[in-house]
Amino acid sequence: MTISLAIDTSTSRTSVAIIELGALLWHGYRDGATSHGDAVPALVAQALQVQPLIEQVVVGMGPGPFTGLRVGIAFARTFAISRTIAVLGVCSLDAIAAQVREEDEFIIATDARRKEIYWAQYSYGKRIEGPSVDLPASIAQRGLPIFGEGAVKYAITKNDEIQFPDLLALVGISEDPLLRVSEPMYLRRPDAVPTNERPA
Amino acid sequence: MKSEPLVLGIETSCDETAIGIVRGRTLLANAIASSVDEHARFGGVVPEIASRAHLESMLPILDRALTQAKISLNDIDAVAVTAGPGLVGALLVGVASASGLALGLGKPLYGLNHLAAHVSVDLLTHDAPIEPTIALLVSGGHSSLLQVDDITSSVIKLGESMDDAAGEAFDKIARVMGLGFPGGPAIDREARSGNPSAIDFPRGLTQSRDWETRPFDFSFSGLKTSVARYLESTLDYRRDDVAASFQEAIADVLMLKAVAACRKSGIDSLIIAGGVAANSRLRTLAQERCDAAKIRLRIPAPALCTDNGAMVAALGSLMVMAGRPSSRIDLEADSSLSVTTVSLN
Ligand SMILES: [Zn+2]
Repeated sequence: MTISLAIDTSTSRTSVAIIELGALLWHGYRDGATSHGDAVPALVAQALQVQPLIEQVVVGMGPGPFTGLRVGIAFARTFAISRTIAVLGVCSLDAIAAQVREEDEFIIATDARRKEIYWAQYSYGKRIEGPSVDLPASIAQRGLPIFGEGAVKYAITKNDEIQFPDLLALVGISEDPLLRVSEPMYLRRPDAVPTNERPA
Repeated sequence: MKSEPLVLGIETSCDETAIGIVRGRTLLANAIASSVDEHARFGGVVPEIASRAHLESMLPILDRALTQAKISLNDIDAVAVTAGPGLVGALLVGVASASGLALGLGKPLYGLNHLAAHVSVDLLTHDAPIEPTIALLVSGGHSSLLQVDDITSSVIKLGESMDDAAGEAFDKIARVMGLGFPGGPAIDREARSGNPSAIDFPRGLTQSRDWETRPFDFSFSGLKTSVARYLESTLDYRRDDVAASFQEAIADVLMLKAVAACRKSGIDSLIIAGGVAANSRLRTLAQERCDAAKIRLRIPAPALCTDNGAMVAALGSLMVMAGRPSSRIDLEADSSLSVTTVSLN
């Protein structure tokens, strides 16, 4: 059994955990859509006090707002290189879906900003559609139960207990090579407004 | 601390993903990937494209830097990173990468000022100590005149551009003239056959009252407008004359103010850095004016003038050698970091 450092920055919550022997040894988080940059190293520093010997890093690859998402991935990659250990990526929505117990068919939605959601549809624990980015109303039309921070924010769900990725699940999912993701899931093209054309 | 620290520096404030490695005052590696080609069709740097490229290039560039320096990560004594000023999303990729390395290795992290790093890179080119000196930083992102008494702790801003950065003015004029992006090298090339005194373009903030109120500030927007108007109103203009005259106006005003700053402060040393320091006319004019004014002129090697990781490593090395405290592991990148803050707490 491996000792994993797990990191997710795909939502407004920065989450860090150490998973050892398939169990959560330490978990810390900080909320704030613009605080990923300082939250990740601060939380990892705390985690290393509990267990300094890390054997692999597992990181949420989104989809998520770009700037925060990149912070988690950039940190995970260099931390892993510095310890010469592996870094594995997982779709963050899958680690939210893993917490849904009562439904067979459902949708996970996180906040994509600009009044849109990142979403994916699941059937019996498997992702069958997505991840994609769309307007909340068009996904709510499907009439399936919806979970996740985006669903709560845009009021297309009554359940606000399941909102963020579960890091124990994130590490569990990473054990399946078919579910691993190696590049950040942006799902949108960059806004192409050069710095010198932006209003000052 | 050891007298010859081995420092790795990461720079991602704009469109260059760069890592340099320095031992003491010796450059061991300077690896750079630029996303400039991806921005060219937009005529300027697109922040999100730059940030994505930083994340993609980080590990390959790290690998290249370590190979060049023939060291392993475990040999590093400290990790330095540009913490600002710059594009916030771009800075964050560098800072996150640097803190991942520092925490992974258990080594101190230094969050440093990009402008101070531009000045300190001179230690890799010239043997003489840097301070005290006046520094003229000119690039697509900044145009500032600084007084440097101690590069690790005391940098004073004498003046800066009120509008466009000098390099930005080059980009905009090159676009109007159909010369492509980035504009600096294109205009420099076009200007070679031109007459620098063919057209008398304005020198911003050089009227007598400007010397009283804003002696060391720059303004390039009037020049830009003037060139655009000239191109519109002149049917048979010579492109090389326009390029040469425009370039002359920029170089002239930069050197007028830099020499004045040396005189006023009584400091007989000038360092010019930033991408515009590669401009051939600025280099020639700077040498003439400094010789005449008995100022010792230092311009780092061209590859070290543009944004690079070696300059961050160089400043990091000076910080370690001067015994300055390292930064918090959770330092916050600051896109508008003031030049007076050399390093973050
Ligand atoms: Zn620069």
